[in-house]
Amino acid sequence: MKILVNKKEYNLNIDPDMPLLWVLRDILYLTGTKYGCGIGVCKTCTVLIDGVPEQSCVVPVSYVENKEITTIEGLSADGNHPLQKAWFEKSVSQCGYCQPGFILQAAYLISKNPKPSLDDINRALSEHICRCGTYSKIREAILFATKE
Amino acid sequence: MDEKVFLSRRRFIFGTALTLTGVVSGFIFSDKALAELIILDEKEKVLGLTPSIWVEITKENKVVVTVARSEIGQGVRTTFAMIVAEELDADWNLVVAVNAEADSKYGNQATGGSTSVRNFWTTLRSAGAQARQLLINAASQIWGIPAENCYTSNSFVYERNGTRKLAYAELIDKAVQLPVPPANSVKLKSVSDFKILGKPQKNIDEPFFVTGKVTFGSDYRVEGMKYAVILRCPYIGGSLSSYDDTEAKKIKGVVGVYRLSEGIAVVADNSWLALKGRDALKVNWNRGPNANLTTDQIFDKFRSLVETFPNLSNETVKEIETIYEVPFLAHSTMEPMSAFANYKEGKCEIWAGTQNPQNARTTVASALGISENNVKVNVLHSGGGFGRRLNSDFVVIAAKIAKASGFPVLFFYTKADDIKNDYFRPASLHSIKAGINANGKPTGFFHRVISQGDVSYVNPHYSLPDVRNYTASHSFGVRTGPWRSVDYTQNIFVIESVIDELAHLAGKDPFQYRMDLTNDAKLKNVLRKVAENSKWGTELPKGWGRGISSFVGYGAYIAHVVEVSVSKEGFLKIQKIYAVVDPGFPVNPENIKNQIMGAGIDGLSTALNSEITIQNGQIQQSGFHNFRWLRIDEVPEFDIEILTTSDRPSGMGEVGFPSVTPALCNAIFDATGIRIRRLPIGKTPLLKVDEKENKSKDLEFNAYPNPFETKVTINIKTNDNKSSNLSVRIFDILGKLVFESKLSSDGTSYHTQLDFENLPSSVYYVVCEFNNQLHSFPILKKN
Ligand code: FES
Ligand code: FES
Repeated sequence: MKILVNKKEYNLNIDPDMPLLWVLRDILYLTGTKYGCGIGVCKTCTVLIDGVPEQSCVVPVSYVENKEITTIEGLSADGNHPLQKAWFEKSVSQCGYCQPGFILQAAYLISKNPKPSLDDINRALSEHICRCGTYSKIREAILFATKE
Repeated sequence: MDEKVFLSRRRFIFGTALTLTGVVSGFIFSDKALAELIILDEKEKVLGLTPSIWVEITKENKVVVTVARSEIGQGVRTTFAMIVAEELDADWNLVVAVNAEADSKYGNQATGGSTSVRNFWTTLRSAGAQARQLLINAASQIWGIPAENCYTSNSFVYERNGTRKLAYAELIDKAVQLPVPPANSVKLKSVSDFKILGKPQKNIDEPFFVTGKVTFGSDYRVEGMKYAVILRCPYIGGSLSSYDDTEAKKIKGVVGVYRLSEGIAVVADNSWLALKGRDALKVNWNRGPNANLTTDQIFDKFRSLVETFPNLSNETVKEIETIYEVPFLAHSTMEPMSAFANYKEGKCEIWAGTQNPQNARTTVASALGISENNVKVNVLHSGGGFGRRLNSDFVVIAAKIAKASGFPVLFFYTKADDIKNDYFRPASLHSIKAGINANGKPTGFFHRVISQGDVSYVNPHYSLPDVRNYTASHSFGVRTGPWRSVDYTQNIFVIESVIDELAHLAGKDPFQYRMDLTNDAKLKNVLRKVAENSKWGTELPKGWGRGISSFVGYGAYIAHVVEVSVSKEGFLKIQKIYAVVDPGFPVNPENIKNQIMGAGIDGLSTALNSEITIQNGQIQQSGFHNFRWLRIDEVPEFDIEILTTSDRPSGMGEVGFPSVTPALCNAIFDATGIRIRRLPIGKTPLLKVDEKENKSKDLEFNAYPNPFETKVTINIKTNDNKSSNLSVRIFDILGKLVFESKLSSDGTSYHTQLDFENLPSSVYYVVCEFNNQLHSFPILKKN
């Protein structure tokens, strides 16, 4: 089976039912995608599939055949995505574990809505959990990244 | 030059990691690159200057700071690097932090009690100052001028009254030949000269967090490794009776099944196969002595241990005698516990997110029956800690599996495993007796703490007369352990709630009442400032309320005001939270802000929703769906003020927790007159349902059973049963719509059965609109 992750093609000989999360983490060693709950609840494992955020823990790898996957490692070539810069500027992370999921979800949000309001941000990220409580900083960073 | 020190803390026993370890540099965003990531391993030739075990100056002009406490989200890697960099006059962008491995030469490495900065403050400052003096001495010899004629700035030594300068790296060759100036010979900076400390600094790891490059405990990978999970007995105090692993072993990619004292471990080529293998095990458990245990039984036992208090002094004119109840809590870190272990020929190497590497080393050595010298524990980033990782259970399991299987393994708990096998914050019951005299002043404060798991009492931080504390405990075998701010989590909730009760009993303003109960200028100061910032005393809209509370601990002072509203339907909204914190000296204000927000959300989340419960001898919760945490759309804005009042720092990782819950509950009282004496708040309807109102001429509501376990039947009688489309909406305590249900009519009443199977136990509000009027009725899903 062929999958395309961060513009790189991989030829894999694996069970098509294997969740994408474990393919990324244990086979491709792309450990930037995190395991939080494994049942679609916490959203920390979020990746972009053809540009759309999905939970890699509940997506079987067969589903992504011929689709383009973007993980946090591939969001930008050099860490210069406006959100990555804003996260740095606002010093958002505490433990940092949930942040890849938030950033990818936020990247999708601003791709559809380049000037999100506070409400738009809250709505778009309302299913993601940050156990450390960085929510206020996440809001600040997205607003910072999207102001002129 | 002591090259070995530097090498040894980065050396791998067996080969090299495939993923990047958390060794990162300070950095600035440039259009060029994110930053360079330094990976140091044994292949790299390190020819630097190591004046102490704490700092190294490399040939590339980097300053490498060794961090001997664990990064769990409290920002210690940044803080420690800042402290050394300040005294060393290093260019902050050239500073790198590396984690120390477990070794007694670093002193106590347990990350707990908010002690890291306080314990290492002088040590790390001296280390920076010694290195700086050594570099100055080297420059003075090279230039042939007195050391007094040299000064340092941004990783350079300059000639005073001259033009010569040398980068730190250029001084290494000379400096390695000179003696390191003793710690007592170097002068530390005065606070007014600080350039890095006391100023907001960005997290040193942020560039790597946002690009997925930080290696957390669960991210460690090496060639040929396997993945392992464990099946543990779900019964508290139960044990394994028998098991059959035939089916599990048939799964291609499952490489072994091993019986350990902790349970049955399944090792496979990847995490998914390990989980599949575990699902295929057939197991019988001995349910043990607690097979029927419930949380209710535990609290019943607590109640049976309540004893009569003595009388309060005879000037007492009014008194309260009451009970507060606080539940078990899981830590529920974002990253479930995991550890990598490799065992070969009597040697074991660990890579893990642990708060207690020295303890991990000792316990792994004794579990494997090898000497501590043959155990190497390397510390990686933790996806949250909160006290959970002070216990080394998961590290020991990893080591045992590595030894049993002969493979390098990453062992991990699933989220459900992680919650069920936690060391919970103890559950406790607090019986209280307190009174006031004719002037409203307290006459005594009696407090009995009864717990499962150790909970010490805490003396109130106000000046109260006749304070008496008692403790009792009873164990049902539920494992407990430290949880962010430990005994303060329960005690401050109780103390600050009771002070509020006394203020209301005395008819006094709760802020002024507290001010009158202390002579501590710092406490008064944070209380006054938080009252000012929150405009305490000004009028709020109808249904709103404010609560105030304070805490003194970890060398710091803090006061909180929480502002809430409770709607007609009973929906609670946390409108805003104000905090004023006095850390003494704020080492990194940006990080303090993060900690106060994070601990604040812990306080709100746990107060509102969180509870670990037991039924049939088993932990009932299994994930974020039934051990809830606040989401981004549920958290208020924070207003945080950080004071500077001395030259000495205090602990900031836990201080933001204790006074949040009571401030919230005091605000709810202010808004509704309902006093929360049992956590979580979600167990108490914030709506006083009047029986008469319930049977208003328009509509009569009935829920059966109530409280209910999973299903509840709703009956509504109206004065008009002709309209056939009555529906109800079910909301959670924060007013989030949970689901909607249409009611069917039988001619005289409407009814429906609601199913709460997958929803957490809590109060819910059944809201229906009839004749243009909203009606709200609380129902309670019990455990
Ligand atoms: S790990 Fe996928 S949603 Fe939690
Ligand atoms: S930063 Fe730790 S879980 Fe979000």
